[in-house]
Amino acid sequence: MAPDKSTEKKSAGMEFFENVYRSIFRYGRIPQDGEGASYAVFNNLFLHIHPVKVSRHSLKFTYTFGLGVIATSLFLILTFTGVWLMFYYYPSATEAYGRMLDLRSSVDFGFVLRNVHKWAAEAMVFFVVLHMARVFLTGAYKPPREFNWVIGVILLLLTLGLSFTGYLLPWDQLAFWAITVGTSIAGYAPVIGEPLRQFLLGSDSVGQEALIRFYVLHVVILPGLLYVFLAVHFWRIRKDGGLSHPSENEPQDVAEKGAEL
Amino acid sequence: MKKENLRMQQPEMDRRQFHSRLGWLGVAASGAIAAAGNLLYLKPAVDYGPPTRIRVGRPEEYKEGLKEIYENERIVVVCEKDGFAAISVKCTHLGCTVRTSDSGFECPCHGSQFDNDGFVTGGPAPAPLNWYQISLTPNGELEVDKSVVVPSGTYFKV
Amino acid sequence: MKEVDTTQVYPQDPNKTYGLMELVRGTKPTVGPAPEDMVYSWPHLLIRELVIFLTVAACLLVAAFLFNAPLEELANPNHPPNPAKAPWYFLGLQELVSYSAFVGGVVVPGLLVVALILVPYIDRKKVGVGIWFARERWLANGTFLAFLILMCILIIVGMYFRGPNWGFVVPWE
Repeated sequence: MAPDKSTEKKSAGMEFFENVYRSIFRYGRIPQDGEGASYAVFNNLFLHIHPVKVSRHSLKFTYTFGLGVIATSLFLILTFTGVWLMFYYYPSATEAYGRMLDLRSSVDFGFVLRNVHKWAAEAMVFFVVLHMARVFLTGAYKPPREFNWVIGVILLLLTLGLSFTGYLLPWDQLAFWAITVGTSIAGYAPVIGEPLRQFLLGSDSVGQEALIRFYVLHVVILPGLLYVFLAVHFWRIRKDGGLSHPSENEPQDVAEKGAEL
Repeated sequence: MKKENLRMQQPEMDRRQFHSRLGWLGVAASGAIAAAGNLLYLKPAVDYGPPTRIRVGRPEEYKEGLKEIYENERIVVVCEKDGFAAISVKCTHLGCTVRTSDSGFECPCHGSQFDNDGFVTGGPAPAPLNWYQISLTPNGELEVDKSVVVPSGTYFKV
Repeated sequence: MKEVDTTQVYPQDPNKTYGLMELVRGTKPTVGPAPEDMVYSWPHLLIRELVIFLTVAACLLVAAFLFNAPLEELANPNHPPNPAKAPWYFLGLQELVSYSAFVGGVVVPGLLVVALILVPYIDRKKVGVGIWFARERWLANGTFLAFLILMCILIIVGMYFRGPNWGFVVPWE
């Protein structure tokens, strides 16, 4: 009876909030024991991309340097700042540049959002390449992780595509000529080159048609694809047995024994 | 003998298998047609860009040896004793705008050089500058058609 | 009859119960080192991820207040800047393109992407996994690093050593 009394003592308001909290987070506050820690992960939609337990080796900072997490963080920040920038941006050859000037001088914190978006974009290309270097130099692409490496290559290409399409949007000299040069390079590809250039530009040269096409690619198609492939990338990490680990190496003596048998 | 007879009676594909494959073929075909339709949709059909026919004034307005640059149209109209020529100033390397130099044209992006007739004299450009067709309109004006490329050295005589 | 090796791979924890979970076919033990080498994702992994995310966000904010994103004049199709440069990560490509647009712009990057995709299907031997610069992998690691360094050199040349008309310039002069 004693514990019941103590619950009765709680005010109705407290009980209400506790009920609401419990309806969202079924398993208490910050988990203290193993059971709680397990529930915390696999009962949460966002956390359950993680396994309940991970090996100590994969947590060593000097093994991964957190490069994948850094790249993912940058992409999340880019999504956030990008959506915020869309409130002011206007994909028109006559309007776009003016909006850049407004973001820089008139809109409150406009320059912060634009600058964060720009530097995060540069950093993302950099860290995705570093992440790829880490995976290669630790031999982490070997079976059973071959396909996740391929998805990683696709993610690198999507990152470059996002950065490239975003480059045109400010509609300044830098943007215009970088895209003129870049799309002309694409035009040199055999057979598909010229159709690809036409598809990107929507015309013979960089102009309003190119701007609207790059805008759609930059804000919808490429980020959408990147999120899909990112989900598969994370899912495969778990399905392929977590991060790579030295214990996966074929033990030399065992392999020899197998040959003898 | 018996075995062979049996095989004759049992076709390689039974009815169910045949229909299943036919069904999948249909799915694949409709997927391919849908993909082709989407690609065609994205292919630019309407040119919203500037018009391809440009009027560049009366022949009498030109003096021999004059190079008249039309910046927005990205052409240069040359008047020689052989006649008129309209040469593109779009670099054939990567699409930058070339500028006139002492020996002809040069591209600021990757340093391609062209002579007065647009032939490559240096740099990475793979082809000479385009020459466009010139004609005379009924009211006596020169008209350049940027959609028609003519061989280099084709001058238009009035 | 063959003798079966019954040595314990890892010591039993007296606080746990053990049971047979699965039988697998194989010629060698697939059991790794002790399962006690594992830790809970919460809080060990999640706290680390949060710390990295916050550090990234903080660094970006500092950078955003210190350095403005570049913005040049309004785009003008009639006046290409001299030289016109692509984004920095494509400068290596642009450097190659300045020699030959087809080879530098299509063949080389195309082959690089195909090679990257094929890497795990060519190099399948499970040695040196999970170890930085494993000695057995010197050839693969060396090739990869050579390409990476080559790309970096090309990018640096494109960034700092290319001036008007894409001519070679020395930045400190």
